[in-house]
Amino acid sequence: MTEQLQVEKLSKSFGSTRVLNQVSFTVEPGRFLVLLGPSGSGKTTLLRCLAGIERADGGTVRFGGRALAEGRVHLAPDRRDLAMVFQDYALWPHMSAAGNVGYALRRRRLPRPEAERRVQEVLERVGLADHTDRYPHQLSGGQQQRVALARALVASPGLLLFDEPLSNLDADLRERLRVEISTLTRESGATAVYITHDQSEAFALADEVGILEAGRLVQLATPESVYHRPSTPFVARFTGLAGELTGRTDGPAHQDRVLLTTEAGSLVATCMGPCGADGTSVQVLIRPAAVTITDAPDAPDASVGGGDGLAGTVTDTAYRGRGYDHVVELADGSRLTGVFDRQPHLRGTPVRVTLDPDGCFAYPTSPSHSDGDDSHLFNRTPVEIP
Amino acid sequence: MTDTTLAPGPRTAVGAARVPRRFASRGRAAGALRLLPWIGFAAVLLLPVAGFLLVAISPKSLGQGDSWFTLSSFQQVLSGWTLHALLDSLLVGLGAAVLATVVAVALAWLTERTTLAGQGLWRLLLWALLLAPSYLESLGWTWLVEQQGVLDRMLGHDPAVLRSVVFGPVGVIWVLASRGVPFAYLAITAVLRGLGREFEDAARTHGGGRLATARVILPMLAPGLWAALAIVFAESISDYGVAATLASQGNFPLVTGAMEQSISTFPADFPSASAMGWLLLGLVGIALLAQRRSMRGRSFQILSGRTRPARRTRLGLGGQVAALTGVVGFFLAAAGVPAFGAAAASLLPSGGQVSLSALGLGNFRHVLHSGELMSALGYSARLAAITACAAVVLGAVAGRALARQSGGRAGRLLDLLLLAAIALPSVLLASGYIFTYNLPIASSLGIDLYGTTTLLVLGYLAGALPSAARLLSGSLGQVSDSLLWAARTHGRRSAAAWTGAVLPLVAGSLVWTWLIAFCGTLLELPVSQLLAPPGEEPLSVAITRQLQGYDLGAGAAMTVVVVLGALVLIAVVLGAMRLFLPAARRLEALS
Repeated sequence: MTEQLQVEKLSKSFGSTRVLNQVSFTVEPGRFLVLLGPSGSGKTTLLRCLAGIERADGGTVRFGGRALAEGRVHLAPDRRDLAMVFQDYALWPHMSAAGNVGYALRRRRLPRPEAERRVQEVLERVGLADHTDRYPHQLSGGQQQRVALARALVASPGLLLFDEPLSNLDADLRERLRVEISTLTRESGATAVYITHDQSEAFALADEVGILEAGRLVQLATPESVYHRPSTPFVARFTGLAGELTGRTDGPAHQDRVLLTTEAGSLVATCMGPCGADGTSVQVLIRPAAVTITDAPDAPDASVGGGDGLAGTVTDTAYRGRGYDHVVELADGSRLTGVFDRQPHLRGTPVRVTLDPDGCFAYPTSPSHSDGDDSHLFNRTPVEIP
Repeated sequence: MTDTTLAPGPRTAVGAARVPRRFASRGRAAGALRLLPWIGFAAVLLLPVAGFLLVAISPKSLGQGDSWFTLSSFQQVLSGWTLHALLDSLLVGLGAAVLATVVAVALAWLTERTTLAGQGLWRLLLWALLLAPSYLESLGWTWLVEQQGVLDRMLGHDPAVLRSVVFGPVGVIWVLASRGVPFAYLAITAVLRGLGREFEDAARTHGGGRLATARVILPMLAPGLWAALAIVFAESISDYGVAATLASQGNFPLVTGAMEQSISTFPADFPSASAMGWLLLGLVGIALLAQRRSMRGRSFQILSGRTRPARRTRLGLGGQVAALTGVVGFFLAAAGVPAFGAAAASLLPSGGQVSLSALGLGNFRHVLHSGELMSALGYSARLAAITACAAVVLGAVAGRALARQSGGRAGRLLDLLLLAAIALPSVLLASGYIFTYNLPIASSLGIDLYGTTTLLVLGYLAGALPSAARLLSGSLGQVSDSLLWAARTHGRRSAAAWTGAVLPLVAGSLVWTWLIAFCGTLLELPVSQLLAPPGEEPLSVAITRQLQGYDLGAGAAMTVVVVLGALVLIAVVLGAMRLFLPAARRLEALS
């Protein structure tokens, strides 16, 4: 039942707008792939191409031994043996919860008692055993999405597609449903493709994360690799930063490590490109987890560099239960957000921040390097990945 | 937003060269099949009309004059009496559209959102309004206020002042507006039903008073409001029944009346009628543009799986009385008067003093025993059923295409075509058919439709289809695409997905549209009169023959019987719908 999903050079344009540009990836049987990207990155179109709702201009989609889309072949959605959870749930308002789920099971042509048993069973698994006769408008948002999940799971399809299923729900519900999606999908053994613009959701759910930027798949790796080795500044920004600095390399790189001079002070970062030469101008992207905060020694000259780490001033402190998130303004005026410490540092206090080189990525900004500067394309508010 | 549809759309037809067709694996044959309905539309609607319109600018190309290209018909039409008629039509159309929309908003809100008493009765009365052809309502007023009319005979003196009001702009606007109210009501309730109560609640909780809330909600009703205005305006300026009755008696010329006169003179002045057709289309174009501009860039998909039925406002005793007074007053003035006129005329002997003892069922007995009514009724009912079925199927396809925001240029073209077809007076449409299918080229092509029942049905269809498409586009546009795609991705073939996931949601609208098309065709006058084949007599022709033969009583009795019969049919169909579509009723939030 479980099979491999292969996508090769998938392209799609709407008019003159290129929405998907030669996207290729493979999802191994039973694995959970999350495609992450901002709005307009083509993730919805990609999912709709997989479902057969959109027809790609070029490229192939294979599932197991079958070509779903290849050349002139384009299987209709109903012939692809898949199921999909929609962003707006798409529950049929004239059918009860059991009716919605049962309708999706009809393709298996089971005897009636068997079908009823399976509908009841899957509704039980999503915690709606008592709501089988309710109509969608009689259910809460979370319950509606559970029905949609049950509807997708009931026929045990080989491929499960999720179109931002949690985006209409509040945070608490989202987290609970995320766990249910994660466990129920893995229990079912189906290969899954899930799209979202929420990086914490992506990292929590995925076996593998693919990052889409303007119709191109710019990185496909485990969540850990994406977090620790973002292939481009775009990926780094989209998966959560504390802040960014600009500077120059000060001496050659040693085993990927390079010493940098910035207006906020000197620091060591991981070299993410050809930044070995002395004096290369770089962009430094800093993960929140790489930042440690300590009270500044009472030295009057501590405001500009020197000593251990960078000097700064706390501009905001937020209590997060486990500790405190701080916003620190550095000497050059740039800010680091989401700087965690168990102890609070009051607003206005001078502090020192030390940076772990593993979480500081230096990307050369020379115009010859195509990935060098895309901050104009996308400027995302830094968010911490817990 | 990506557009997706199962129904063949104009975009796939027109943009096939650039945009790859969906499901092209089924091959080019399927693509060509998808074009068929549009070719059908073009053949039914466009060709005769196009030919007729061509006469104004190139009379010689169709054997109607000496010049290959001329604008002289326009010069002729845009002066004197016909210009007057044109301006009158514009005024009347605007007045009727605004009045009908205002009344319809109030009625829709009262029946959909409050606990107003007698909801079923008001719905039935709206149907009665929709059923009654405009000439009947006009005749009802005429019977009342004319010299030696019912009022004259009852009161003993001539109601001259009332007559001068009725036989003028006020009377014409009122009759056309009251005829337009059901259309506007349907367009507005279609949106109002999908509009959950939460928007009103949100406005109230954010500090909006009743008036401020209304100001928030009205723009959300915009699709319905603009559709209502556009439909009533188009229906009003293309109406022939009132132009031929109230307006002509009041020396208040309307453009449809002027057209009919151009055609019915001998020899027929087709170029002038055609030029007036162009100007009517221009007026409709303005209405359409206004609707388009106001809707630009907005999405009104508000019916989805998450929509909850709205709760109703409880009316207190005072509110109930005030609302009932308004509603009863409207229906009295709109339906009561023609009903009274028809009843009085059908029950009264044609002359003599008015007294209770003079009333009798003699006219009804005469009509029912003559057998004439039965054969005419059977013939018209058969044709009306065929027309209504065709109008619903084709109208759903066109309405679906129309409902899609991204329909692009082809969608706008279709919209324009449909609205123009609504605005095209039936009398002109029928003349176009006569004109085109009687051209030598038609018989040399082997199209011998002239004088057949088929041509009559085509004429009916051309009249019923545009309104059907526009009415259906409202409810079809509210069904989110993902409901259909959810069915497809869960393993249903396209036809099964549509019948399972979409049809139950729009079944109510489909049935209503069928009923409108059926009833409208059953009593249709101008097309029936012009296109009826020799030896067959449609219902409306039989009725008007009785009226013209000064057998007013029999004509009125026939009308009463048919209208009552149609009301029974509607009650039966709606009752059946309640029985078989309980879920659809739940969605309509009628609880």
